[in-house]
Amino acid sequence: MSTTFTCLNSLRRVFGPETGRVLSTPAFHQNPLWLSHQREMSRVKQRTTHPRYTWTKKRRERHDQELTSDNQAFLGQVILQKYGPAYQDGSSGMPWVSPLKDLHHERTEWTSKSLRVGVIAKKIGVHPMWDDKGNRFMTTLLQVVDNHIVKYIPPETVAKNYPDSRFRPELGILLVGAQSADPQLFTKEYCGLFQEAGILPKVRLHRFAITPDAYLMPGTPLYASHFFAGQYVDVIGKTVERGWQGVMRRWGFKGMPATHGVTKSHRRGGNTGGGGEKGRVWPGTKIPGHMGSRWRVHKGLQIVRINSKYNVIYIRGVSVQGDPGSYLCLRDTCLPLRRAAVASTPPPFPTYFPEELPQSHGEGDSYASSVFKFTEPSITFEENR
Amino acid sequence: MIGRTMLAGYKTLVRLALNAYPSCLQAQVRCSSSSNKLFQVQPGSPSLSTSAKVSLEPSEEVTTSNSQLESSHNNSDVKESSNPRTRQTAQRELEDTFTPFRYVYPEFLPDPNLKFRNRIKEKLERLDMLHRRSQVDIPEFYVGSIMSVTVSDVNAPGKTTTFVGICMQREFTGLKSNFTLRNVVDGMGIEICYDLYNPTIQNITCLRLEKRLDDNLRYLRDAPLEYSTFPFDMTPEVKNPDAPVPINPLKIKLNPRPWTAKWHLWDLKGIEDVSHTLEDWQLRKLKTWKFLTGDEVKNVDLMKTYRSTIPVEEQVEIYSEFAPQLVSISQSMKKQKRKRTFSKPTKSA
Repeated sequence: MSTTFTCLNSLRRVFGPETGRVLSTPAFHQNPLWLSHQREMSRVKQRTTHPRYTWTKKRRERHDQELTSDNQAFLGQVILQKYGPAYQDGSSGMPWVSPLKDLHHERTEWTSKSLRVGVIAKKIGVHPMWDDKGNRFMTTLLQVVDNHIVKYIPPETVAKNYPDSRFRPELGILLVGAQSADPQLFTKEYCGLFQEAGILPKVRLHRFAITPDAYLMPGTPLYASHFFAGQYVDVIGKTVERGWQGVMRRWGFKGMPATHGVTKSHRRGGNTGGGGEKGRVWPGTKIPGHMGSRWRVHKGLQIVRINSKYNVIYIRGVSVQGDPGSYLCLRDTCLPLRRAAVASTPPPFPTYFPEELPQSHGEGDSYASSVFKFTEPSITFEENR
Repeated sequence: MIGRTMLAGYKTLVRLALNAYPSCLQAQVRCSSSSNKLFQVQPGSPSLSTSAKVSLEPSEEVTTSNSQLESSHNNSDVKESSNPRTRQTAQRELEDTFTPFRYVYPEFLPDPNLKFRNRIKEKLERLDMLHRRSQVDIPEFYVGSIMSVTVSDVNAPGKTTTFVGICMQREFTGLKSNFTLRNVVDGMGIEICYDLYNPTIQNITCLRLEKRLDDNLRYLRDAPLEYSTFPFDMTPEVKNPDAPVPINPLKIKLNPRPWTAKWHLWDLKGIEDVSHTLEDWQLRKLKTWKFLTGDEVKNVDLMKTYRSTIPVEEQVEIYSEFAPQLVSISQSMKKQKRKRTFSKPTKSA
């Protein structure tokens, strides 16, 4: 596998990131986030089953038998004192911020070139919905669970400390955390990541590339109302784990006939290559193997409904990757035509603050256009004359 | 831990629900209260005049929303008994109180598959269902009931289509829940599957409320067409509101083979005995099948029952949360029906 990776890197060095560029269109609108559109070798399936070496150790081995129940209770009190009532709050999904925390900073105006932060959401289920003509479609529910900004990394530091990053040089990084958890589960180093923000350590951490004008202070909570109904988002997440799969399911091979003399080869792959000088199985050849549990980006999915009371986003379709209960990153889409379709409505920038719009927070759902609301009467069609 | 006042409130709700859905399994409800006051609707009880005014959010504390209903009851704060025996009986009483809801509103219970269980998702689904129910009266019905459904149809003359048929099966839960009606039109068996919460449905009426011996009647496909034929101009049958749901003990004689499914392997009680039509080897196979999957095994396999049902405690939790809203919706629907039947005579020419 390592030889394949160096082969890929050498390919990148030979052909370079600038080769794929079309010089006639503005670079930003070609791809606002990445330096180039270069496609990876789609045949090679990369997965890592271990954390990257640059990351801090996350989970801690617990031996609760060493502590008496009194000491355990005392630890709970210490954590409560340090972090506040957020430690006792159950999994309601709504982010808690200390009222003493000052999250105000100089606010900037939204421009068409601004890139805002995304959110981390949990896939909770699938519901049917209907449009105003009576046509049924399925929607996936994603709950924005307890999101807080953890850290901001300015563009200069990104260039210096993240040399392999493919982000454009003018972009900074916002680190977002989802789903607070008991600090006793994690190592001291991991808990230290959240000290600056003053929040409980999070189960999930993800990066979002932003323009510096979309800066948010560490500790700022993020809500489902960060998006608006009708806009398009990209969903990044891990696909469903399928285990070891054969060539028909994994690569879509057609197999061989069930009868007519076919010997023991109804679902097999057949030939794996030729002979001659390159008489070996080439790297990237499609054979049975592990399938699923890969990071994938599904672009341009529409938000049809937002529930601000429970922080739930309804996305059209069932194409959201992963099992129910898995975490996903949502961000404004990079697809230019879908961005243009909703360009007339400026999004909450840099994010949605409930204190600025208190009457809308927690009050009913917002819907995309031409979606049937269950509070409306039944759909009837009028006679055409 | 349930206090006496809350329990009394729930019982009142159930009585109101039973009045709204008269043919509910009243006989099975073992409410110990003897007061006749409970059968009267309280003057200040909530009514749904317009859905926009009344919020259909689930009440956090049921006692506060029932305050009007409980006005006749003793409002003294009874201390929660710590005696396990009284706790047990209180819990059992609560379970009995909400047993009827399980049959009248079966789609409010979620899919028991643990992979898809999520409290927030189920809560949001139930809210949507309540909102829809406040717009359209979805009556109590069972497999075997004869129903009439009016649907908005773009392609139909008058832009509506009405279909009458026997309810053959009910599938799924929540907003996906559906029911299939079967009838015979021009000598051809027709089945139409309707989503219960489809917004194009204008009206659902139960013409004859009854049950059959089986959970689904797919075997009607292999039965003579007479068993599936029902007149389209059938009028709703008025039943005694205090009577339980009648069970039609009809045993259908199936057509000779071939069948669309192996009905002899299904545990069907609504068909005549077919074992005399089976070969020896088929009879032996049937015996093995019954040994592996029959009633004796089902009653003993606790894990299977656990995996395929929602625990009673959770059912109580779900129904107690939405009982006030469901009751008020059913009451308002009844009022609207009564209003509609009266039509003022208009002058012609």
